Amino acid sequence: MTHFRRGLFAGLLAGLLLAMLNFVTDGTPGRTLPDALHWFGITIADPTLSRFTGFFLLIILGGIAGIIFGLVQGERDITIGRSLLSGLVLGLVWWLLFSLLLTNIMSHASSPLSLQFGMFLATFPIDLLFGIVLGAIYYQLQGQPAMAEM
Amino acid sequence: MTILSSANERKEKGITRAKETGTTTSITLSERSITGFALIRIFVGYLWFQQLFWKMPPDFVGLYSYIVRESQHTIIPGYGYILQHTFLSGCTSLLTATGCTLYVPLAASVWITELIVAISLMFGLFTRFGAILGSVLAIQLYVGLAYTEWLWTYGMLVLLCLALTAIPAGRRLGFDQWFALRLQSAAHSNRLARFVSWFA
Repeated sequence: MTHFRRGLFAGLLAGLLLAMLNFVTDGTPGRTLPDALHWFGITIADPTLSRFTGFFLLIILGGIAGIIFGLVQGERDITIGRSLLSGLVLGLVWWLLFSLLLTNIMSHASSPLSLQFGMFLATFPIDLLFGIVLGAIYYQLQGQPAMAEM
Repeated sequence: MTILSSANERKEKGITRAKETGTTTSITLSERSITGFALIRIFVGYLWFQQLFWKMPPDFVGLYSYIVRESQHTIIPGYGYILQHTFLSGCTSLLTATGCTLYVPLAASVWITELIVAISLMFGLFTRFGAILGSVLAIQLYVGLAYTEWLWTYGMLVLLCLALTAIPAGRRLGFDQWFALRLQSAAHSNRLARFVSWFA
């Protein structure tokens, strides 16, 4: 599997995980999924359709992030340490771009960098998790991982 | 128990050896099984993570009514007395934490512990430590609240955390995959590394 396809596949799976985590929220299932649409200024009146569209948009965005991840890594095989660290950086960039900048810009906040503790806690760990999972899947796809004993 | 890429090969060897020696076969987790467990680990961590938001700092208001309920409905004699003289010490109302002298620091300890459990399980970071901590918290919830809701609600949480204590689910899709290799190679010459490696 080429680094491009490996990145795409890892990104789609990590995006699926991110969408599923957004689905199993407290309150109405998937209530945070339309946030992904708001990043691009899209509003869908039907709440069910809006949630499903947000769900699939997150998977697509995950795939795009995965392609970028694969292109950055190139053809060479990478270690688990490098893949997790690269994933962590990708998660940080994702959080900065989507959960901070675009969310603030699209909601007309006072500053594009304005941040509340609750909002930070709700988004930052989850976005980092997305990056780490993407990196870990990318590593697993490049070959058989080393044996681990309990 | 081992996690192997060539699970079938290992299984065949184990069966042959067991037939020869008359012992039970060794148990091997395939890549799919351990990756499945890693996904379960992430969702259990997310379960703990979500529960941080209804008892946020600085006042942890949401937790108060549950502490009061625990002190009234605990299944262990004396546990209510402990809660009344720690969390609820000095409290003047059953509805708000007015006058409680120790409530905020103790509630903060609970909140931080739950955050550690959530981060540990979601990121696969010393997963077994997080799972043990989660088991302790869940047992405490079972003791205090089991009879105020469906009996198995907190019982299932205890069992989930115990299952994640038994299986090193952080070694796939988590940081433990990196830590475990290093700690295991250091374990031959370092007793602390040997001890810590079990948690990864």
